[in-house]
Amino acid sequence: MRAQFRSRLRLVLAFVFFVAICILVRLYFIQIVHGQEYSQKADRQFASGGSGLFDRGAIYFTRKDGTLISAATLATGFLVAINPQILADPEAAYTALQTVVPDSISRDAFLAAAAKKGQVYIEVVHRLSDADGQMLTAKNIRGVQVLRERWRQYPGGSLASQSIGIVSYGSGDTLGGRTGLERFYEGTLERSGDSLYKNFFAELFSNVGNLLVAAKDAREGDIVTTIEPEVQTRLQDDVAKVHKKYSSKESGGIIMDPATGAIIAIATYPSYDANNLQNVDPDVLGNPLVEHVYEFGSIMKPLTMTAGLDAGVMTPATTYNDIGCITVNTARICNWDLKARGVIPMKQIIVQSLNLGAAWIATELGQEKFRTYFTKLFGVKTGIDLPNEGGALLGNLMKPQQIGYDTAAYGQGIAVTPVQMIRALGAIANGGSMIQPHLASAVRLNSGITRTLTWSQTTPVFSPTAARDTTTMMTAVVDEKLQDGKASIPTMSVAAKTGTAQLTDGHGGYATDRFFHSFVGFFPAYSPRFIILLYTNDPQGVTYASDTLSSSFLDLVHFLIDYYAVPPDRGVSLETATTTPL
Amino acid sequence: MHKTHALFPFSLLTICYGVVGVLVVAYIGLIAVVMSSAVLTVEFSQSIKNDVAAVALLEGQYLANVAHITRANVAALGYTKPLIKTFVRAESVTALR
Repeated sequence: MRAQFRSRLRLVLAFVFFVAICILVRLYFIQIVHGQEYSQKADRQFASGGSGLFDRGAIYFTRKDGTLISAATLATGFLVAINPQILADPEAAYTALQTVVPDSISRDAFLAAAAKKGQVYIEVVHRLSDADGQMLTAKNIRGVQVLRERWRQYPGGSLASQSIGIVSYGSGDTLGGRTGLERFYEGTLERSGDSLYKNFFAELFSNVGNLLVAAKDAREGDIVTTIEPEVQTRLQDDVAKVHKKYSSKESGGIIMDPATGAIIAIATYPSYDANNLQNVDPDVLGNPLVEHVYEFGSIMKPLTMTAGLDAGVMTPATTYNDIGCITVNTARICNWDLKARGVIPMKQIIVQSLNLGAAWIATELGQEKFRTYFTKLFGVKTGIDLPNEGGALLGNLMKPQQIGYDTAAYGQGIAVTPVQMIRALGAIANGGSMIQPHLASAVRLNSGITRTLTWSQTTPVFSPTAARDTTTMMTAVVDEKLQDGKASIPTMSVAAKTGTAQLTDGHGGYATDRFFHSFVGFFPAYSPRFIILLYTNDPQGVTYASDTLSSSFLDLVHFLIDYYAVPPDRGVSLETATTTPL
Repeated sequence: MHKTHALFPFSLLTICYGVVGVLVVAYIGLIAVVMSSAVLTVEFSQSIKNDVAAVALLEGQYLANVAHITRANVAALGYTKPLIKTFVRAESVTALR
């Protein structure tokens, strides 16, 4: 009896174990081996041999009040695919498609796809709206599949498109960030396809560790940028106007907080609509503000001046004798108008933009000191969070010929990127210290935590006194010189400098009729909230930057004062004041 | 075995049958819960994505309006610059003065 009972018990236990093992094996195959396929199937709600739905983190603009506005997000809709092997009546299918989404595909293209009888899946129409997709689904056409689709959407279209970047297929078959922030923060923005379909069994079998520590949730998230959409729109509009008015080759601008390095707006023209890349010239996909180097011309003079003041080789009261033209190493360098000024103080070098004055400071500094200052300013990349950052060309400062230093002092013969230039000039606005320009301020992780990014790297270059003295000279440019003094704002001190550089002629020399115009300014001059850099490359029919970029700069200054309600820093009594705007 | 019989009014085999029965029911229940959870997860995730897309549409309209306002020729619309600007001390926006 006991033996019979034991054998029955063993039989029952063996059966239980067998059933359990069968279930476990079955579960393993369903959830581990074929888990991806089932999750796709569930989400698509239709059978498909395609890959999973596209998923990716968002990129946000930040309004001045802290509201986040999507710069890059996901759109949801449908795609239409056909199975030529079972599509019995292509003409009827095309007619049905046309009634729902007219002109989505040409008749010839549709019929050509339907004629490929060797294939079972051909996608013919993309990015249908939900309503259109459901309407087409309701028609239930044999051989036509209507499948869920998600794609990258840029609500701003061309707004900061070069800096936001694009998502596209690379050498493989996966979508990924290729330019701009999309590429730089790929590790944060990309999504592994199964993140939405975690379930108990799959986790139990394959990712026990993830139940305890969600590594992906600590890495994947959304990027919050410092770009303010309304300021960005204004800058982009101003840059485009200049570009079109003067038929330039390329134009751009950056607005940055000089104290933190937060870039508030960054624009180049020509640009592109990131939602429609079909006919975009690949050359405009890059970001010239970060990747290209230019000889900026006279906006380099404030840096030369500050270096001289910081090194103590002169003071603002020091004078020099300006004779109009000099010869250095057999090369002749002159003031922009070829005229001599006689004995004048340092301030006039900035106010009148005198090349000989800048060359005089370079000579007084000596080659080694000059090289040290400029290598500190431009010798290393800024570390901005954008890909493919270019480096400065400072070869002339490594040679013993003095002409290289003299021309560098007024911005010719050395080439730097616009973002390097605004960082260097930002040191004057920021009490002598360079900060790290950046576009991203925080990462909103999937775990729910917002990780603030720290960009605290500062590089002291000049003393605060030297920076302030140069600021005073640059403020005089706006108050006395720009538009003959009419640009001066009675209630706001604005420091600025124009730059006009000759373009190289491709034969080792410089063209006499082609120029690179630049403009830099910051305000309130002695406690700046904004620094603005503008440039336009090869404008037609105009020689000086003061003619091309002054009005754009002043428009931006007035816009920013109004938009951010920047309080007056001069010309107003403590109680109330009334001024007449220009 | 005799001791078990002495303690319980039913056999060990019956207990095993009972336990197996409970486990099977629990397992089926667990599968049902997991399946329901998976379906809800997919529905919720799709719902979120649809909402995100709808918000993106509104954001696109907002940005288009900003661009439209920026490009507007205010002079052509009949607006003129103010003749004077008066600066006044900012007041606290709270009721606590």
